[in-house]
Amino acid sequence: MIARRWSGCALLVCSLLFPASPAIAAGVVVGRSEIAFTITAMGAKFDGRFRKWNADVVLDPASPAKSRAQVDIDLASVDFASPDSEAEARGPLWFDTAKFPVARFSSTSVESRGGGRYDVIGRLSLKGVTRDCVVPITVTRASNGERIAEGSFALRRLDFRVGEGEWADTGTVAGDVVVRIRMVLAPQA
Amino acid sequence: MVANIERRYSAAAIALHWLTAALIVVNLALGLSMVPLAISPRKLHWYLWHKSIGATVFALTGIRLGWRAIRPPPPPVAMPAWQQRAAAMSHAAFYALMFAIPLSGWLYSSATGVQVVYLGVVPLPNLVPRDRALGDALRIVHVTLNSLMFALVCLHVAAALKHHFGDRDDALARMLPMLPLRRTRKEGSNR
Repeated sequence: MIARRWSGCALLVCSLLFPASPAIAAGVVVGRSEIAFTITAMGAKFDGRFRKWNADVVLDPASPAKSRAQVDIDLASVDFASPDSEAEARGPLWFDTAKFPVARFSSTSVESRGGGRYDVIGRLSLKGVTRDCVVPITVTRASNGERIAEGSFALRRLDFRVGEGEWADTGTVAGDVVVRIRMVLAPQA
Repeated sequence: MVANIERRYSAAAIALHWLTAALIVVNLALGLSMVPLAISPRKLHWYLWHKSIGATVFALTGIRLGWRAIRPPPPPVAMPAWQQRAAAMSHAAFYALMFAIPLSGWLYSSATGVQVVYLGVVPLPNLVPRDRALGDALRIVHVTLNSLMFALVCLHVAAALKHHFGDRDDALARMLPMLPLRRTRKEGSNR
């Protein structure tokens, strides 16, 4: 019963956070943006990404203080090697999406590093664990006025209990997961 | 003695044949048993071995063809023309499959976004970008080619046994040094 209430909650949260097919979410052109990741297992790289996520991103080069980023990822939308491995990723040992459907990054500040580079500093909540997280990004401007923010960072999966039990051994699946973000920001009105 | 050496495959060709044969049989069995496994570290290890063995077969096949050019195989044992044609075709099909099957596996792995790392040490480049539909198609190609390989191995073994026990010729002995070569009356009179 509790489980059912939980999944009902998860469904509601998901439908609120991830409307059917948003073309633009607060300036982010979702269709051409990407949240991807690479895990390393016994030396081999496994690439994946998330199909559904939502982002509210404001990048103001003139005043980094007014800049912000909030990203919500529907973890069950993981797009990974095979349907089997996606099911495993959603399972209790990895994301446990039945209990923790959404990962959220919320910026607390954005610091300019010069040359279009920024540190987006914030908190990442994943699988019930919230930790400080810095996402270094580089912003370039396309000829059509769009800005493209790209960055990557190493996420220590065991900090968030992602990959428990038989998967906790980093000799099989490395502890560092590379998360890559590419956000296409529509021209400002 | 000299005649015996000429009638058999060279030692290197024999070694390459049996090594490849063992790797192919092991890899067919490994491939069939690893797919139904639930995802686990063990499954990842089995895939790693499967891919490494496949890459080894691919490399050994290149070496074999090179060696075959330097030291051509002995002339075929006496048999009807249709059997010689069938043997030549099946050998050609073996070479084609020994290249095509590892290649299709490598492409399939690439399409699923999983890099192949030889023996867990030497990373091979991904041949195609990650693409679910392409991966599904390549899985079918890989499985189909392996079904052909399985059928061809059965045919090959059956033909070898038929020649050895039925025709009582040297088709098997020339690839298996532990068997003595038989001198058929015809060949004996020729030499």
